[in-house]
Amino acid sequence: MKRLFVSALALGLLGGGGGVTQAQSLDDLNIQIHGYATQGFLYTNQNNMFTTSSSNGSPAWDEAVVNVTAQPTQKLRVGVQARYMLLGNIGNKITLDWAAADYKFNERIGVRFGKVKTPSGLLNETQDIDPSYMWALLPQGIYALTSRNSFLSHYGGIAYGTFRLDEKFGKLDYRVFGGQQLVGADDPAISLGMQGSPVQLPNGWSGTFLGGTLNWKTPVKGLMIGSSDWKYQYWKSLATSGATNGSQFSNPCNYYWNYARYEMNKVMVAAEYTRQPYNGGTTFPGSATNTFWVDVRAWYGMASYKLADKLTIGAYHSQSFDHQQPLQPARYSKDWTVSGRYDFNQFLYTKAEQHFIDGTELGYDSTMNPDGLKPTCRLTVLKIGVTF
Amino acid sequence: MKTIIAITLFLVATLTLASRVEAQVLIIANPSVKATEVSKNDLREVFIGNSTSLPDGSRVVPILLKAGTAHEEFLQAYVGKNDNAYRAGWRSLVFSGQASMPKSLDTDAAVVEFVMNHQGAIGYIGKATPHEGVKVLTVN
Repeated sequence: MKRLFVSALALGLLGGGGGVTQAQSLDDLNIQIHGYATQGFLYTNQNNMFTTSSSNGSPAWDEAVVNVTAQPTQKLRVGVQARYMLLGNIGNKITLDWAAADYKFNERIGVRFGKVKTPSGLLNETQDIDPSYMWALLPQGIYALTSRNSFLSHYGGIAYGTFRLDEKFGKLDYRVFGGQQLVGADDPAISLGMQGSPVQLPNGWSGTFLGGTLNWKTPVKGLMIGSSDWKYQYWKSLATSGATNGSQFSNPCNYYWNYARYEMNKVMVAAEYTRQPYNGGTTFPGSATNTFWVDVRAWYGMASYKLADKLTIGAYHSQSFDHQQPLQPARYSKDWTVSGRYDFNQFLYTKAEQHFIDGTELGYDSTMNPDGLKPTCRLTVLKIGVTF
Repeated sequence: MKTIIAITLFLVATLTLASRVEAQVLIIANPSVKATEVSKNDLREVFIGNSTSLPDGSRVVPILLKAGTAHEEFLQAYVGKNDNAYRAGWRSLVFSGQASMPKSLDTDAAVVEFVMNHQGAIGYIGKATPHEGVKVLTVN
């Protein structure tokens, strides 16, 4: 109900914004429509990844995004963005990315509310915006392709701003946010995460959280250092096992990210570390509680170089470990990646990427790999995108 | 060791030459903008969407050229990105709901006219473009 309320309020402002400014021309409202579409191709030498038949070569990775924004005044901006995504057996439907109203009082304080992108880590807000970065796949330990819908945005709000420090100390950007996250029942975080379990979460998995992000733009030109923190409250949702109703809960927990990025002329270097521990359980009447405990720690280091006006190349290494898993390939994923992006013009681009993956912690669906998983895999990704 | 020294000297020479490239563009602003000068860094922050005001508190709105010599020289001298990378940066703000795309105009004269008539507008034009009715900001 709260979700509907905040979205309706934000969308109402979108409509109302137009209403109170009827005297303004469309040009004064600065109404803009932007979008992009991508087509990906995945090939693995063994194992099928991301619910696709990648070992045979799979083109089942499409995305299309459209957004409409209006800016009736310099301080007020409203907008909505919809997404179609297909990734193997995931998606194939249109979802709401965000629908928000933004009011910026001044440089130091602005607020945004509705369904908003959650500003945490180095790339969380932009991880699903393919035209904005060079990689075809971001480091999966932190920016999992299959979990985009649930953890990229929340229903609630953000307060944000920038403080100029003394010239010797640079600038501080802050974001404070909170609200409700909703992981839909058909979200891969649930459908893949609970694969093989008789327990279902028919209403999905949702709860409230608070968080903050602090980015320090240091006096060293091009160097930014940042940190993000999420505090999850106690979550509880309906669980079913056959005809029996019970509940699944998770205890309050804390996720954090630390990161740094250096950009100068043609060079970009970045690194990020996150730890995401949580625990909880599933209870049914007359049965003992089944507990679970996950402790994911992931990091990456990446670098890119603009080789020519239209060509950028790069490489990264990423690792992810679930420290609660036994010592086996399913405990970890290590990935060496080399990548290139070519921009034909400002509207059309293509990407090519090669991954050398060790471990099976990330990106696999057991139903697509009925004969089990090989511990290593090479993944080739090709992508073409158009944006306007 | 000789290779490392040679590469270092090459990089230093390249950076030195790059820093000496002077932009053949003027930074213009609506007369409502209080500032008369702007630092290169503050100008960059405004034009990449990181900032909506100058240090003196003047609220500013960047206006772009769609293409052309002045556009390319401005990006090279003050932003440090080519057009593709520059617009990709804006797209990340637009598609994540953090900003609207700045207005892009076809000609230098159109930029002058728009900046003259819109409070807080700030733009760039070729040095030879007539610019009555707008103020020129010194970049330091």
